[in-house]
Amino acid sequence: MTAAIELVGLEKSFGDNRVLRGIDLRVEAGQVVCIIGASGSGKSTLLRCVNRLEEPTAGAVLIDGVDITHPDTDLELVRRRIGMVFQHFNLFPHLSVRRNVNLAQRKVLGRSEAEASAITEDLLAKVGLSEKVDARPADLSGGQQQRVAIARSLAMQPEMMLFDEATSALDPELVGDVLGVMRDLAAEGMTMLVVTHEMGFARQVADHVVFMDQGVICEEGPPAQLFGDPRQTRTRQFLERVLEH
Amino acid sequence: MTVTADPGAPEPALGGAPVPELYVSGRRKRRAERVRRWLSYLAGAVVIVLVGFAVDWDRVGRKYFSWERITPLFPEIITIAAKNTAIYTAGAFVGGVVLGVSAALLRLSSVRAYRWAAKVYIEIFRGLPALLTIIMVGFITPIALGIKFPRVASVNSAGIVALALVAGAYLAETIRAGIQAVPVGQVEAARSLGLSRAATLRHVIMPQAFRVVIPPLTNEFVLLIKDTSLLSVLGMAISEKDLTRFGRDAANQGYNATPLVAAGIMYLVITIPLTQLVAYLEKRNGPTR
Repeated sequence: MTAAIELVGLEKSFGDNRVLRGIDLRVEAGQVVCIIGASGSGKSTLLRCVNRLEEPTAGAVLIDGVDITHPDTDLELVRRRIGMVFQHFNLFPHLSVRRNVNLAQRKVLGRSEAEASAITEDLLAKVGLSEKVDARPADLSGGQQQRVAIARSLAMQPEMMLFDEATSALDPELVGDVLGVMRDLAAEGMTMLVVTHEMGFARQVADHVVFMDQGVICEEGPPAQLFGDPRQTRTRQFLERVLEH
Repeated sequence: MTVTADPGAPEPALGGAPVPELYVSGRRKRRAERVRRWLSYLAGAVVIVLVGFAVDWDRVGRKYFSWERITPLFPEIITIAAKNTAIYTAGAFVGGVVLGVSAALLRLSSVRAYRWAAKVYIEIFRGLPALLTIIMVGFITPIALGIKFPRVASVNSAGIVALALVAGAYLAETIRAGIQAVPVGQVEAARSLGLSRAATLRHVIMPQAFRVVIPPLTNEFVLLIKDTSLLSVLGMAISEKDLTRFGRDAANQGYNATPLVAAGIMYLVITIPLTQLVAYLEKRNGPTR
């Protein structure tokens, strides 16, 4: 069976800096895969290679079995199938919440204003922000902005979602709301590749956890095994460091 | 160490308690500051009085502020001169923004030839004196290339073209700075939603870039209003005259500078509200982001 996302020998260098040194990873349809690891280990770069916000230096990225590193790839078609949520939300500050969520629906999918707005309102209800539909991003808290950003991605009805440290920029008391939305998505069967520092989330929600260190996958496995009985010394050291406080 | 006043203590002057040391020197500095201020006022007053005595006010009044020479300027100074200045400015600004946006985008292109083409344009027209560009476009191009600049909306279109070329070069750099001020994350968010480059530019980058550059853009607009006075070197029919040319011709006819002063006042009437607007916009846009 073809995986939703499959990385084969993926490498990425910035000049002499080899950030990814040969990554092989499969994410099956409907799976939630969490990537953990210290900052600088290449987690975010890996994620950004999956929709080619970053150009891989070598290797292949297969989406439903099709290599999207091929030069003939229509990236706009690929990207509308892969939602992405960023650490800093990246809402469009000059547009209202409604127009943030409507924009790509109108311009990419060609939905009418009414169709797009109906979908937007449904999604805002789902992330618990119905009353914010006419607010500006600047008037929202970080947690609210991130939930709007998730709604904006979902409005494209993507087949899979990438989360790049979606809660790292949030005040601690706002993290829970965003993780809640992500949990709901996982429960609905969304295919998710999640770079995160939230070990609790990874442990409870992930089907598969990947620990990255210095540009390679150091260890991977089911959360119970990786958190409960890590085999690699580096994994154990990392977990001790992040879990001790 | 210095003795600081005990906040609970009575006023030194009233209670007879010792005056804290830092009040003594502080009082001396405050007094010195006041003396300096009055001295500067006095110096200013002396200069004004001296000028007042030195100038032949009667002559100044006759040569620069002669009422009977102002009235014949109306209504043409408004209906022709100010109107044409406005048309030259508006035409050159619209042309300049179109050229400026194009050049800014080419400057940021990933294609080297495009970047170079834009760079050459910008460097040439920022480097040349505006007056020279106007003379080249107005007099040399028609002869060398056989291009005839038509009359557009009562003005000489050569003037609009020349000023647009100059304004475009300056605006390109301003607009480029505005585009670059938009965070990369905005482009990444738009592209990851599947928006094309063009749609990202139009709906995400440009609206944010223009918000940033509105104050400098308004400033360029004011500079452009003043630069239209350089067009007075061009051949102009009576109905094509701008404020400066109109004022100068009227001044030459009567050997009297009053029309030039009138033209100057017209410029100020237009530019001062605009510079106030720029200040307001900068204040409003300043603290937020």
